[in-house]
Amino acid sequence: MQPLELGASGLEDFPALLRHHGLLSPAWQTGPAEPPKDFKPTESTTILAFKFADGVLVAGDRRATSGNTVVYDRADKVLEIDRQSIMAIAGVPATAWEMARVLEHSFQFFRRTQLQEMSVDGKVRALSKLLRDNFGFALQGIGVVVPIFATFDAKASPAARLYFYDAMGAQFEATDFAATGSGSPAVRGILYYENTWGKKPLQKLDTDDAVVVALRALDTASEADTATGGIDRHAKIFPIMKMVSASGIRTLPEEKIAELFRKRVA
Amino acid sequence: MIEEPYRWVEAIANRREYIETQLGSGSPIVALSYAGGILLLTVGRQKLFEIYDRIALGAIGHPGDIERLRMAAIELASTEGFTRSAADVSLRRLAYYSLSPVMKNAFEQIYGAPFLARLLFVEIGSSPEDDLFLGLEYDGAISGSQPKEPNSRFAVLGGTKASAEQMEQFLRQEHRDGEELSVAFQLALDAWTLGHSGVSDTGEIPPREQLRELRKQRLEDGVIEAAVLDRGINSAVRYHALTATDLAKLSAS
Repeated sequence: MQPLELGASGLEDFPALLRHHGLLSPAWQTGPAEPPKDFKPTESTTILAFKFADGVLVAGDRRATSGNTVVYDRADKVLEIDRQSIMAIAGVPATAWEMARVLEHSFQFFRRTQLQEMSVDGKVRALSKLLRDNFGFALQGIGVVVPIFATFDAKASPAARLYFYDAMGAQFEATDFAATGSGSPAVRGILYYENTWGKKPLQKLDTDDAVVVALRALDTASEADTATGGIDRHAKIFPIMKMVSASGIRTLPEEKIAELFRKRVA
Repeated sequence: MIEEPYRWVEAIANRREYIETQLGSGSPIVALSYAGGILLLTVGRQKLFEIYDRIALGAIGHPGDIERLRMAAIELASTEGFTRSAADVSLRRLAYYSLSPVMKNAFEQIYGAPFLARLLFVEIGSSPEDDLFLGLEYDGAISGSQPKEPNSRFAVLGGTKASAEQMEQFLRQEHRDGEELSVAFQLALDAWTLGHSGVSDTGEIPPREQLRELRKQRLEDGVIEAAVLDRGINSAVRYHALTATDLAKLSAS
């Protein structure tokens, strides 16, 4: 722990505080104009989220790749940021996990110092700012992150909120669903189809049906996209799924996902 | 200029007397363990704060000074939790290494302003044996520890030493480990009433029925503030303030 420095007080912005102590790289950093030719950053794909009857379901496959090498098959791309917010990441995990960490601490730091919860708009904007600060890396093609952010605010209307971002930090609010990462074209196709011509629109699905749609979408994405892990039938690796609703965040137990997979997907 | 050591000691004594007078009217703070964690309670303007996932602060003193110390504590805990991990944030290090030296220094630099604040930090551990209660005085002195004896997991902060001692004596008699939150809440309110009512000349503690009567009068012009560090909660953040609804339920019990 650092010795006490009372002068730093008054910085309610956590990234600014970290920069003050030299614990976070400066914003808008620039490196070499282009990364070395053979440099292939680890990347992760595919994430999706949609609103269902209780709130928002966020799901992500488990694969991380570098070029055409599978680096890791148990990556967790769906992260709990606070009691009401979930962030899912596609892109370079080195940057994305750091962003999630900064974000998590930013929200808590704000609540603790300012004695009030940060507004949903404030939280959405905070992530946008982090992406913009990362613009230098994104431009070089080695630190691209395209996250999804889902949150639930019982007092607002609609209560369930879902946003996706581009690598430069633009935020887009999704009315029904969002998907990013290399497998997302297939996922978007399926979610659009389900929402428009499926038995029920996505927002009317109960938990089990929502999980089944997410599993089928990720399985389809992995069919054509090698960077998407989908469901590893052999090693029994299932996607990570979290849902945010009025009662907070719930991580679906693996057994539950496995059971629904066996009954209705496999 | 104060050149002689004697003058310096005199100046420090005057300063101590001045601060004690300033803090004398502060509304007491009670922290005690219950079955699910630790309850913190006071009455009046907001004086209970969340410092980090497992650390809470209660403070008496000048709002400006409390604010500076509170901010410093949150900044230190947050940067430590970010750069290392939440498990590396420790109240013991925060108090001994970071806060105490600064408070002592400010107190002894007699041409500068001291901190007009008396702090009570509480850290919840993975089991009751690991719970930590630390009091931090305006002069940097640290009191309290990890209570090992049964029924001794509590700490108080009073405007005066006498008031704190009386609350401690009361809690030593009445506090039991593993009680329900509602029982702990009533006990904490009684302890607060005792601490806020001034010490009787005989030093005797009135029976609890009499304290209840007294409490009614005392609460007429004050709002109860309470927070818990919840050991059982399914989240890294153990601190949460009790809402008006929670308080109404607990008060009725």
